[in-house]
Amino acid sequence: MTAESAPALPLAGIRVIDVATVIAAPYCATLLGEFGADVLKVEHPVGGDALRRFGTPSQRGDTLTWLSEARNKRSVTIDLHRPEGVAVFKQLIAQSDVLCENFRPGTLEKWGLGWEVLHEINPGLIMLRVTGYGQTGPYKDRPGFARVAHAVGGIAYLAGMPRGTPVTPGSTTLGDYMTGLYGCLGVLLALRHRERTGQGQYVDAALYESVFRCTDELAPAYGMYGIVRERHGPSHNDFACPHGHFPTKDGKWVAISCATDKLFARLAAAMGRTELASSSTYGEQKTRLEHRHDVNEIVRDWCGSLSRDEVLDRCYETGTPAGPLNNIADIFGDRQFHARRNLMAVDVPDTGETVIVPSTIPKLSETPGSLRSLGPKLGEHTVEVLSELLGMDEQQIAELRQKRVI
Amino acid sequence: MKPLPPSDRPSDHEQLPLSGIRVVDVGNFLAGPYAASIMGEFGAEVLKVEHPIAGDPMRRFGTPTKRHDATLAWLSEGRNKKSVTIDLRQKEGVQIFLKLIAKSDVLIENFRPGTMEEWGLGWEQLREANPRLVVLRVSGYGQTGPYRRRSGFAHIAHAFGGLSYLAGFPGETPVLPGTVPLGDYMSSLYGVIGVLVALRHQEETGRGQVIDVGIYEAVFRQLDEIAAAYGLFGKVREREGSGSFVAVPHGHFRTKDDKWIAIACTTDKMFERLAEAMEQSELATTGLYGDQRKRLAARDQVNQIVIEWVGSLTRDEVLERCLDKEVPVGKVNSIADIFEDEHFQARGNLARFEEEGLGEVVVPAVVPTLSATPGRITNLGPPLGDATYEVMRELLDITADEIRRLRQHKII
Repeated sequence: MTAESAPALPLAGIRVIDVATVIAAPYCATLLGEFGADVLKVEHPVGGDALRRFGTPSQRGDTLTWLSEARNKRSVTIDLHRPEGVAVFKQLIAQSDVLCENFRPGTLEKWGLGWEVLHEINPGLIMLRVTGYGQTGPYKDRPGFARVAHAVGGIAYLAGMPRGTPVTPGSTTLGDYMTGLYGCLGVLLALRHRERTGQGQYVDAALYESVFRCTDELAPAYGMYGIVRERHGPSHNDFACPHGHFPTKDGKWVAISCATDKLFARLAAAMGRTELASSSTYGEQKTRLEHRHDVNEIVRDWCGSLSRDEVLDRCYETGTPAGPLNNIADIFGDRQFHARRNLMAVDVPDTGETVIVPSTIPKLSETPGSLRSLGPKLGEHTVEVLSELLGMDEQQIAELRQKRVI
Repeated sequence: MKPLPPSDRPSDHEQLPLSGIRVVDVGNFLAGPYAASIMGEFGAEVLKVEHPIAGDPMRRFGTPTKRHDATLAWLSEGRNKKSVTIDLRQKEGVQIFLKLIAKSDVLIENFRPGTMEEWGLGWEQLREANPRLVVLRVSGYGQTGPYRRRSGFAHIAHAFGGLSYLAGFPGETPVLPGTVPLGDYMSSLYGVIGVLVALRHQEETGRGQVIDVGIYEAVFRQLDEIAAAYGLFGKVREREGSGSFVAVPHGHFRTKDDKWIAIACTTDKMFERLAEAMEQSELATTGLYGDQRKRLAARDQVNQIVIEWVGSLTRDEVLERCLDKEVPVGKVNSIADIFEDEHFQARGNLARFEEEGLGEVVVPAVVPTLSATPGRITNLGPPLGDATYEVMRELLDITADEIRRLRQHKII
C-alpha cells in the first residue's frame, strides 16, 4: 500500500463518532480523519452504511465510493434501535469529542440520544447535525438528498441550455461534499471554542444551505433589481465574454474564460488577431457583452479550426485562461495530476484489488493529511473498540453479539 | 449601515471562536478571499489589502451598483472586511506589508505562483517576518507541478478538474455546472479547513506553515467514485443530462404548468414511496421495477412513466403528493422562488442590510449555523481603503505626516 507519510497530525487525540450515512456528514469525519482524528464509524449490524451499496461494487462487495470515502475510519457495529445498543453508544460518547449524524430531525431524540442527553453525558461534545433542510423551519422533516438540495438551493435551475431541461450540475453528490466541508468548518470552529471555554455545541448544517451559500450575487441581484438568473448553457453571459466551452476540430472541448480586458487581449494575441482587442473593436468588456454573439462566433470559428492541443498551446503561450474539458481518462494521463500526486493507488486488503482514489487536500506544508486505509469492512473494529476503549471483556462482547446488539 | 431583522444575530465579538485572530487577505476575486470572509463571520479581524488605485477586481465583477467601487458580488463577499490600500509593486509598500504580516496570524493570497516571490514576499521572507504565520495559497493549479504558472479561474478549474465534462446531455454541449465561481467557493472551503487545522498546530508548536490549494483539486476531490471506477474498470463517465448513473428515477421532470421538479429515488424504499404517490404501487413489485438494478436496466421506461405522471400535474400537486409519501422531492427553484420560500425565511437564509445610498441589499446569511457561537455579518464589502489610515496609524504606528507622504506617492 502506497499510503502518504504522516509526520505530525494536528487532530491527533480527537475522537470522532460518525453515525451518519452516505456522504454529507461522513465526509466531515473523513476530513477530520485525514488530519489525524480517530474516527469510529458506528453502523447498523445488518447492512451498515447505505454507502456500502451506493455506486459500483468492488470484489469485496462494498462500493468504490465506500472504499474511497470511508478512508481511515474504524467500523463498529451497534444497533441503536435497541436499549443495550443505546447504552453502549452513550459510553462511546462519554469518551469522544465529536459526533457526526444525519438522521432526520427527531430520530436520535426518539432513541433517547437527543442533544440534551448527549450534552449532559459529555458537556464538551460537539455534534454535527446534517439534514436536507436543517433542524428548524417548516420543511425540516422532509427527506433530503443532494439532488433535491441542488434544486432547492438554486443551482440546478441554472445548469443547462437556455429554456432546456435543467441538468445535474456535473455530479449528483456535489451538495453532499459541500455540506461535509461546511460541517467540518463548523466542527473545527466549535473545537476552538471548546478549548477556550470547555463548552460544547452543535452545528446545524442543511444541504440546501451549503448550495445556496455558493451562488455569488444571485440573491442580491434579485433583491435589488429583480433579475432572475436563467440557464445560460456553457457560459454565464452577463459577466464576461468570451466565457464558455468551445468545440475543437478533433471533437473535443476547451474552456476559455476572459474575465477582464487584459485577458481578452491575450486571447486575441493567441488567435493572432490583436486588432480585435483595440478600443474601437472588442477591447472593452462592455462592447464584448453587447456583441457577445459575434465575439463567441469568432472564438468558436478559431477553436473549430484547430485541435484541442493546438488551441490550448496557443492560449497558454499568451497567458489566456484556458483548459481542456477533461474526462477521467484525460485526468489519469495528465502530468499536473501526477506531479501533484492527486491520485493514489491503494490495495484492498484480502481481495488483491488496487483502487485508485483522490488523495488528501488541502496540502499542508508541515502537517500534511494522510490516507492510511480504505473504507473498512462492516464491524471490522467492533471488538477492538469495545475492549480497548470501553474495557469490555470477551464474555460481555459475546453476549452483545449473540443478542445482535453489535 | 444597520442590519435589519431577520438577518444574522450579531453576537458578542469576544465570544466568537476566531476573535483575536488577524487575517490579511491580499487575494483577488473569490478563490481564497471567501476563506477570509468565513473567518470574518466567525470573529477574525480581516484586513483586505488592495492596490491603491485599482483595488480588488471583484469590485468591478458582476452587477454594478450606484457605488462606483462595488458590484453586488463585492458587497456580498467582501463582508466583514476592512480595506487597506498598499501597492506591493513598490519597495516601500512591501516593507509596510511585512510590518503588517508581523502583526497578523493568517495570510491569504491567490496570485499566480511566483508573483509573491517576485515582490520579495515568498515564504522565506514571510516566515522571517513572522514564524507563526499561516499562509493560505490558492491558485488554479497549485504551487507545484508543470502547470503551476498557468492562469486559472474557476471556469477553467471546473473543466480541468473533470466536472464540466459531466454537465449537460450526452453527446451535446457541456454546460456550466450551475454557477461560474463554484470552484472558488469549494477551494476556499478546503482552504479555511487547512487554516483552522494549521492554527491548531501553530498554537501547539509555535510554527506556522503553508496551505497549498489548486482550485482544480477542490473540484476533482468531490467526484465520488469517478477515479476508482476508471482505475478498476476503465469506465469513463459521460454526461448524464438531468439524471445519474447510480439510481433511477433520479432527475428533473417538467410539470404541467411548465415548471421543474427534482425527484431522487436513491433506494428501493424511496421508489416504493414514489410508486404509491403515483398511485401505481404495482410498479414497485419485484416482478416489475422494485429493484434498483432492474430500474437501471429499464432506465428509459421508468423515466417515461415518471415524465408522464409529473407532466399531468402542476408543480404544487406533484410536490404535495410526493411529500405526503415522503418521497425525496424538491422544486427546481429560481431565485424568485427562493425569495418567496417560507423555509428560507424561517431559517434566516437571506440577510438584509440597509446600505447607505443603495437601499436594501440582500445577501446569503452565514453557513453553517453554530448553536453557541453563531457567525455574524458586521458589514458588507467596504469602500476602497476605508481602514487604511486606522491600520497605518494605530496598528503600525506610522505618523500622520508619513501617512500623508505615502498617500502622495500612491504607495498606500
